[in-house]
Amino acid sequence: MAEKRKIKITDISNPNLQPLVEVAPTNTIELPPPYDKLEDLPGFKKLSEATRQSVDDSLDGVVAIGVPKPKTPEEEQELVEKFISGLIKLFSKENNWTFLQPLVLTMEHCAKCQTCSEECPIFEASGYEEIYRPTYRAEILRRLYFKYVKPGSPLLKKFQVGDIDLNWTLISRLVELAYRCTICRRCAQACPIGIDNGLITHELRKLFSQEMGIAAKEIHDKGTVQHLLVGSSTGMTPEVVKDNVSFIDEDLSERLGIKVESKWDIEGADYLVLHNAGEFLSWPENPAAFAILLDAAGIKWTYSSELLGYDGVNYGVWYDDFQFSRIAMRHFEIAKKLGVKGIIMGECGHESKSMAIIAERIFGNEIKTINTMSLIEHIVFSGKIKFDPERNNFPVTLHDPCNIVRLMGIVQPQRRVLRFLAPKFREMEPHGVENYCCGGGSGFAVMTPYNFLDWRIHISGRKKFKQILDAFKDEPPGPEVPKYVCAPCSNCKGQIRDILDYYGAKEKSGIYYGGLVELVVNAMADLKEPFIDFSMM
Amino acid sequence: MELIHLAFYLGLIIFLVIVFAKAIKIATAPVHLRWELYPVAHEKGKAHYGGSYLEEFEWWTKPLQKNLLGEVWTMFQEIVFLKGVWEHNRSLWFGSAPFHYALYLYVVFTILTLLSLIFGLTPTIEGFSNHSIIKFLNVLLWISSIFGIIGAIVLFLKRIFDSNLKLYSNASHYFNILLIGALYVTSFIWLLSSENTIQEIFGFYLGVFSFSQIPSLPIVGYIHFYLLSFFLFYLPFTHMTHFFMKYFTYHKVRWDDEPNLPGSKFRKKLMEQLNFPVQWSAPHIGADGTKTWLIIASSPLPTKEKKNG
Ligand code: SF4
Ligand code: SF4
Repeated sequence: MAEKRKIKITDISNPNLQPLVEVAPTNTIELPPPYDKLEDLPGFKKLSEATRQSVDDSLDGVVAIGVPKPKTPEEEQELVEKFISGLIKLFSKENNWTFLQPLVLTMEHCAKCQTCSEECPIFEASGYEEIYRPTYRAEILRRLYFKYVKPGSPLLKKFQVGDIDLNWTLISRLVELAYRCTICRRCAQACPIGIDNGLITHELRKLFSQEMGIAAKEIHDKGTVQHLLVGSSTGMTPEVVKDNVSFIDEDLSERLGIKVESKWDIEGADYLVLHNAGEFLSWPENPAAFAILLDAAGIKWTYSSELLGYDGVNYGVWYDDFQFSRIAMRHFEIAKKLGVKGIIMGECGHESKSMAIIAERIFGNEIKTINTMSLIEHIVFSGKIKFDPERNNFPVTLHDPCNIVRLMGIVQPQRRVLRFLAPKFREMEPHGVENYCCGGGSGFAVMTPYNFLDWRIHISGRKKFKQILDAFKDEPPGPEVPKYVCAPCSNCKGQIRDILDYYGAKEKSGIYYGGLVELVVNAMADLKEPFIDFSMM
Repeated sequence: MELIHLAFYLGLIIFLVIVFAKAIKIATAPVHLRWELYPVAHEKGKAHYGGSYLEEFEWWTKPLQKNLLGEVWTMFQEIVFLKGVWEHNRSLWFGSAPFHYALYLYVVFTILTLLSLIFGLTPTIEGFSNHSIIKFLNVLLWISSIFGIIGAIVLFLKRIFDSNLKLYSNASHYFNILLIGALYVTSFIWLLSSENTIQEIFGFYLGVFSFSQIPSLPIVGYIHFYLLSFFLFYLPFTHMTHFFMKYFTYHKVRWDDEPNLPGSKFRKKLMEQLNFPVQWSAPHIGADGTKTWLIIASSPLPTKEKKNG
């Protein structure tokens, strides 16, 4: 590999560096055979000249957002001014009370000790590319904050934090850089002072979205906007989702020889079940397994066919407080209207965190939120259902979704279930609150524009793939033994699917993935046919 | 009144006022949304693996149990052992630990000095160097000075030669280390060059706190106290205020898992915040500078966005 160009913080605004750094797959995180040969893999997709002319790829040659290039110097100047006005709002209590306190603490008290750096899987997987260091992006925002927001003598501020030139080059690169971090907050966990560089990513994305209208298309246009207008970020309207679900019910009822029945708008139900609607399209067995389990446990539940009532995602949590609040508010209103006691949140990490923690602080907990992990544990150990763990007699490992584990502290319920129902369960290392992100966090799992998919496989997802392979290292390496990665989160599943597909890990090593509830239903002794059918996965 | 009196008063007053003002400002900042990070040290019976009360099915039907000792123990390990740096940045620990220990010891030394003055436990005149309290303070200052010099040298060299640190080190980082290092160098030289360093320090504090004449100090003693005065003056304006801001980063952010139950203390404040007017300019927000958070969150998307969507 070519010697890396040493960059300086201020290089971010240097338009002559095109790109600022050249990112390519690296072997810093070594994978075991047969995945160890980088040269066997296609590198990052080359962008066409036309694409490069129209959108900015000057950060690292990768494009996640595709910020259009301004056409005139006036346009450029206007964008710079807009950025400054957004920066000021980001630090005002009226506009950003939601995160002002942690943001200011992070801006003003970092000791630049780099204790956090080694903890970032992206920084590591990139071969320690400076721009991906957790503190790099924070340092840029810090210098801008000192220069444009914080009162005081300019000379003193330069002495304190250094200087930076603000121009369109910096802004367009910073937009992309805000989408090179999964907000897994592993770095924050390591910081002895309590500084949170993951939060910086979140706040930068907010500045770009809330002031400049710049965000990832998959998260904004196709995400929250579509969710609010059509009812789901998948684009499914209520009619379409009902059709799809009844088809899934029929199909599974036929295959399993039991009645799988989804319920819609049931008055008097105790709980509204809110899945990530992506499950209905990509992993229909997951909601079906839920339906079977909830019925077997005698829980009175329903889906809602109101707009937004059947899609629990809230992409706003990754980039925009207002889109977030709009969606969260609708979810609670729908539950209230249905008269249910609470919402059962599906196996979706960001949905769970959004509703149970973040929105709860705004809207209170009048409508209770039940997280899947504790619910499944409750059902499994309630004694209402007979289980035969031998039905899960294949190697199983558990991925800890950051949102559920590091950011909500739900660690043990899923483990107690797996220890009981999966005789060949083994942990990844490290696990629990020290887990590594799947690489698809903060919206990445639904983002595939330009060559961004290559980046999230090779860079943000590499550590997780290594962990998965290591977890099964004592098993026969080939596909003869199916191995199951239990990933109780829709977004993590999306990312793990993309990684496994990219490397052909199902064909080469027999690695499959799915949720937790499928394993639970698979172990239900009364089911005539196994619920999990590896040949169909 | 000598110049050193004025310098010291100024340093001390600025230190106290700014630290107090900063603490009040951050403590009264708006209630933020939950953003905790596990392990949360007060989770009873669960903190050791990073668990939370959310693990309990229908957690709201059970009493929320906080183990404040857990917080104290975690903070203790962080402050006394610099646990985070030890675990995640071992090579830096060997500079950071002596540097911090020196500061702790210096603070302890100063507090004990003041206490013994207040309670009249020690003679302040020369010739009592065998007095046990003086001997003890002497040892404290020796260790503090030596640790401080070692820590400052290691940190300074690391900032120059370790490329991880160098890129992020500004003029102020080098200056801070040099300033603190100089404090220890002067106390070290003072200890080396005088038999009565502790008594001279007593004399200084007695003088400044009783607004009276300070018995003459050796030159190095004056330099030491000018440096200390400047340090007190300067510290509140630097990132080194993390020595007390850490309380907020941990207790008010990282460990803030307070649910929004009816009657909770922040509900009222939150309601006020939801009525803050919003000025963000992106069209999908639909703000006009008068509409509040709550109104925006309860309104449908503005028409323009609908067309785009
Ligand atoms: S964020 Fe924390 S760990 Fe990282 S450089 Fe700053 S103070 Fe050190
Ligand atoms: S939040 Fe995660 S991905 Fe982002 S900088 Fe920190 S460790 Fe890296």
